[in-house]
Amino acid sequence: MSTMGATPARAGAAGEQDPSRTGMLVFIMSEAVLFTNLIAAYLYLRFSAVHWFPGDVLPLYLGLPAANTIILLSSSIPVHWATLSIQRGNRRNLIIGLALTFIMGAIFIGGQAYEWTHAGFTPQGSVFGSTFFTLTGFHGAHVLVGLTFLAVTLVRALRGRFTAEHHFAVQAAGWYWHFVDAVWVFLFGSLYLL
Amino acid sequence: MSSRSEAAPAEPWGSEGLLSWLTTTDHKRIGILYIVTSFAFFLVGVTEASLMRWQLAQPQNAVLGPEQYNQMFTMHGTTMIFLFLMPMLTGLGNYVVPLMLGARDMAFPRLNGFGYWLFLLSGLFLYSSFLFSAAPDGGWFAYVPMTDRAYSPGRNIDFWVLGVQLLGVSSIAASVNFVVTILRLRAPGMTMNRMPMFAWTVLVTAFLILFAFPSLTAAASLLMLDRFLGTLFYSAPAGGDPLLWQHLFWAFGHPEVYILILPAMGIISEIVPVFSGKPLFGYIFVAWSSVAIAFLGFIVWAHHMFATGLPAAVQAFFALTSMIIAVPTAVKIFNWIATMWGGRIRLQPPMMFAIGFIALFIFGGMTGISVAVVPFDWQVTDTYYVVGHFHYVLFGGAVFGMFGGLHYWFPKMTGRLLSERLGHVQFWLLFIGFNLTFMPLHLLGLMGMPRRIFTYLPNLGWDIPNLVSALGVPFIVLSVLVFLYNVSVSLRRGALAGNDPWNAVTLEWLASSPPAPYNFAEIPTVRGRRPLYDLKHPDRPDAAPRA
Repeated sequence: MSTMGATPARAGAAGEQDPSRTGMLVFIMSEAVLFTNLIAAYLYLRFSAVHWFPGDVLPLYLGLPAANTIILLSSSIPVHWATLSIQRGNRRNLIIGLALTFIMGAIFIGGQAYEWTHAGFTPQGSVFGSTFFTLTGFHGAHVLVGLTFLAVTLVRALRGRFTAEHHFAVQAAGWYWHFVDAVWVFLFGSLYLL
Repeated sequence: MSSRSEAAPAEPWGSEGLLSWLTTTDHKRIGILYIVTSFAFFLVGVTEASLMRWQLAQPQNAVLGPEQYNQMFTMHGTTMIFLFLMPMLTGLGNYVVPLMLGARDMAFPRLNGFGYWLFLLSGLFLYSSFLFSAAPDGGWFAYVPMTDRAYSPGRNIDFWVLGVQLLGVSSIAASVNFVVTILRLRAPGMTMNRMPMFAWTVLVTAFLILFAFPSLTAAASLLMLDRFLGTLFYSAPAGGDPLLWQHLFWAFGHPEVYILILPAMGIISEIVPVFSGKPLFGYIFVAWSSVAIAFLGFIVWAHHMFATGLPAAVQAFFALTSMIIAVPTAVKIFNWIATMWGGRIRLQPPMMFAIGFIALFIFGGMTGISVAVVPFDWQVTDTYYVVGHFHYVLFGGAVFGMFGGLHYWFPKMTGRLLSERLGHVQFWLLFIGFNLTFMPLHLLGLMGMPRRIFTYLPNLGWDIPNLVSALGVPFIVLSVLVFLYNVSVSLRRGALAGNDPWNAVTLEWLASSPPAPYNFAEIPTVRGRRPLYDLKHPDRPDAAPRA
């Protein structure tokens, strides 16, 4: 028993970092596996199909999704800048960065909504329609979660809840947003370009 | 040891009443909630199985009609896998792992509570289907096109497809928590290399869940969309593919088998050394064989699909990977046997269940290798041979492991010992009943009896094995009743356990029985793989392994 007396009461042999970081990374990893499965299902159906959706309809839509892609991928920059800013204790730039990201994400969702309502095909009409709406829908749902995450973080930032030392939620929101962006790269590539 | 250990045990429930249980974030209470709830679902699953064996005891029996029979086997499988074994092992992990690691709680206590309540609500949701006479009836793997709206127009499959997705969320929440707890909250000095084997298997299992459940979520969401919105993923006439369901489902379903068995193997790896009075033989091999099993578990799924006409090269690949899994599994079995070799073996109930596990799991593993052989699988696929095989690994394996764990940790959870005499009675009833019920199924399968038929004609040679199988059921039921009686009596009148009734070596036995809400007044420093042994024998501690 004498060995116990001198030890600190704090556990955590594996490092000083907040365990939440590990939790967030592991959670995002599992989310990535979900999208891997959905994309694999799409590729499986596509390359075992005898008939696929006529390719000549899609290029009409490429302008909007391409612009949307640029907006979404660029939105990773302000959220990263926001994280860097709060690490240096700059709350003003944190707020600007989060707000910019939120606006860009909202524009992306608006573009997706336009595309959904103006698509020349339906989820029920063909397997392509099923996969298109399901994959973009799953991604859109994750963008909405990311936007909620950003909004909550923004409100907390406006209330002055973050400091240079204490701002893990900002980083987690940023990670989640980067993840949503990265998934879109694969979706855009496989749904629109392939 | 600590002076607190000799005092009367604290009230295991505390005195704060029902509300404190509904709102608890204590890993020990959440663990007990998981264990009690999943045991209740176990009793339901046993009831469903008993009705099925009764129905099949004689040819052309009329205990259950065909629709009811379909609901029974679907809910039996779904219950035993999602509502009993997984949450039971989550519950044991919840209770024991933070204590083993020298932690005060799980990393995310509120997420832990969320996982439990979502599990309970998902289970109740699934069972509420009976109120609408619409219990799921598509089998636990719910193959399309049978489960499409066209062939299953009722609400039955809707309940299933929503229920398993909710359970997936619950499992992911619990797994994130386990991973972070085990990677981040270990006591000072407890390197990965010194971690108890149960913690190792819970860690590997959590990663398996994080990687495997998304496949189930994907499969079930696509089926849900097909059923609710009329998408065409699984619709062959429209260019979809029913085989996509099988690929996605088994990409989850096969790792799921290891999700169920690995924690049980972890329990066995704790019990065998303690009751042999020796350190675990081949620690590194036992730990890393779990990792190997988990990895291989992701590249064997199509061995469930040999009868679907996959290309020959694909079949050969999946047959080989499936056989290779036998290697890390055998590594574990030989290490357990080597741990027992020359040890001072105490045949107390936890050890009886551990030895039962090893014997039955070897048998189930051997039949598993036999169905990895493609031509043999063609012969027995979808027959009772397969049912016999997986009950040997999941009942003979996981359930025996679970009972071993419950006997082993009951004194820690309650402060009281279970009756050993009743424990032995329970073990032998279960061992005899199990073999009576499930051994004849192999013969039935070889004689061509398909699974999932609600009745059969006489004079096919199936009458006697089915009758023998049914006769085993009362033994199993009686065994479960003996356990419940043992628990209820011991909770009130069992002998006081003290901190360390088994002369064990891991840190949960350093805490009082039951442990205080904060687990340890002071977090111990760990110097080897058997931290409690080191504290008990300061003069001759285990040599610290090189990290």
